[in-house]
This record gives sequence, structure tokens and C-alpha cells, in this order.
Amino acid sequence: MQPANQTNGKINLDPDNAEHGLAQLVLTVIELLRQIVERHAIRRVEGGTLTDEQIENLGEALMNLEEKMEELKEIFGLDDDDLNIDLGPLGSLM
Amino acid sequence: MGGLIYLYGLIPTKEATNQSFPTLKGFDGEGDLYTIHIGKITAAVCDLDAENYSEESIKDRINDDMEWLQEKAFHHHETVVNLSKIFTIIPLKFCTLYKNLNSLETAVQSKESKLMSSFDLISGNEEWNLKIYCDDQLLKKQVSQSNPTIEAKREEISQMPKGKQFFEKKKLDKLIESQLEEEKNKISEQIHLHLREFALKGNVKKNWGNDVTGRKDNMTWNGVYLIPESKIEVFLEQLQHYEKSMQKAGWQFEATGPWPAYHFSSFS
Repeated sequence: MQPANQTNGKINLDPDNAEHGLAQLVLTVIELLRQIVERHAIRRVEGGTLTDEQIENLGEALMNLEEKMEELKEIFGLDDDDLNIDLGPLGSLM
Repeated sequence: MGGLIYLYGLIPTKEATNQSFPTLKGFDGEGDLYTIHIGKITAAVCDLDAENYSEESIKDRINDDMEWLQEKAFHHHETVVNLSKIFTIIPLKFCTLYKNLNSLETAVQSKESKLMSSFDLISGNEEWNLKIYCDDQLLKKQVSQSNPTIEAKREEISQMPKGKQFFEKKKLDKLIESQLEEEKNKISEQIHLHLREFALKGNVKKNWGNDVTGRKDNMTWNGVYLIPESKIEVFLEQLQHYEKSMQKAGWQFEATGPWPAYHFSSFS
């Protein structure tokens, strides 16, 4: 597997390598959503409104999601920096 | 030709009259630098065509023409460095322009006493820059292994059910991150305070992001020091000592200098 685009924060949509660039783009969006869900869940847990069972289920689901994401990153040869987009003056996406 | 005056730096007139002024090409690559004596202070300048180098056209080129900006910024820096090898110089910021001789003279005269004190301060001293970098991953390992609170929390988490472990681990990660930042600042500050003992002055600048440094490890300290020439050697020796003892733990030190005293002399 080719290593991911080395220039941090740029999605590689080179026509000869479009598949890989697309995978990077899709995984970036998924990772963003995963992190939003995770942060929201942490807030809910810290808010103290969930039962132990709900916390357990939520925690396990998020853990599985995180593991799955790690697998996908490995399959596509991407690391955390590749799943981040440079938004210029706004900073990084994640 | 003529019109604007580009100011590179200010030199004590005493020094400017005692030594010959080098032949250096000006900002436009055509004319040469020359000096203007304004009482006790001498300005190192070159002439610029007012039409080609109007405030607006310079602003446009700074914003849009990276190649031009790089070339000219390098020219400014090189020129000031060359002058600083011969004279005590108060370096001016890139693209400091005066409309005419009169406006330059007025600006210099109005700040004469402040400028003379700046000469006294920087004469016989050198400006050095120190950037400290740290491999966060390595330091994080050390922080998380050597901290009994973190160790105890980890043990406690391992007894919890899987799902709860996930949230507690995230909390612990946050705690380690904050401990890491504290540790980085504490160590860098200790080094800074120690090195300041060899300097007349030491200031802290903003750290640069990885997009500017182009490095993987993070900058944890960016300091500038005004050091007496007699203490440069011992200052650098101390740095080498730090480098040797801390390299394995992921720390790197980058000292550069001597620089024209940009941070310890101001004309603004």
C-alpha cells in the first residue's frame, strides 16, 4: 500500500490515484463524525443522566468504532495526520 | 530615479566615520547602499524609485508575489547581517521606507536619546535564538509511567467493565495530555532561566506551529537572548550539555546566531 499523502492536511485527489484519495476523503469525514459522537457521548456520561447499563453499551460501541477506524486506517495506509484537513486561517479540522 | 529612501539600519556615527562603508547593492539591485549622517546617528540606506516602490505596489507584491518577497526579504536580511559584522547596528524591519530625507532625519532626531541607549545596550553583545523541540510521544510515555496518580488510575480502570473503561481511558488520556504540557513548560522554563544567567536579557517568543517549522516534533520554547560576547562560549556549552543529557528523552535544541539585534533594539 502506498503511504498517504505526506503534505499534511491536503486530500490527495491525483487522477492516477483517485481511489486512494477518495478513501482518504471518506475516512476523514467518518473520523470527524466519530469524534463528534464520541465527544457528545462523553458529555452525556459526565452529565450523570445515563444508567450504568447505558454507559456500558455506549462505551463498548464507541470502543468498537474506534478499533474499526484503526483497522481502516491501516488498510489504506493512513495515519491521524492524513485524516485532518488544513482549513487555512481557521486551523485544522480536528 | 530617487524619491524614496529605504532604511536598512542605524549605526553610531562614530563607527561609521572610523571605518569605510562596504559596497553593497541596494533593494532594486541597481543602486548601492550609502550612509546619511544625522548627528550622532548614521542611517544605512539606498534610494528607491517612488513609482515602482509605492506603498501600494509593495503591499501587493508582499501579498501576491512569494518569489519576490523571498528574494527581497533575503536581501534585506543579508545586507543587515553584513553590516552587523562591521558596525553596531539597530536593524530596521523589512521595507522601512521614508518619503524623503527630511522625514528620515526628523524620525531619527526625535528618537536620538533612545537610539543611543540602544547602541549602548547592543554594543559588544550578540543576539542568539534558541528553539527547543520535544518528541511528545516519548515524553508522554515518561510522564504516564513515572506519575503515581496516573499509575493508580490505570490500575483502577483495568478492574472496570469494558464500556466504562473506554470513557475512563479517555479521561485519563486528557489528564496525561495536561501533565505533558505542564512538564514541557516546566522543563523549558527551567532551561530558559538557567540560560538567562549568562545573558543580559532573555525574552520569550511565541512558539511556531509544525506547519512553519516543517518538523514532526513540537516546538516547546522559542527564546531570544542578548549575550555578552565573552559569555557566548559558556552559553553554547550549557546548551550542548542539555542536548547530550536530554536527547534520549526526545528533546532537541536549536541555537542560531549571532543575529542582528532585532529583538533588543527598536526604532518603532
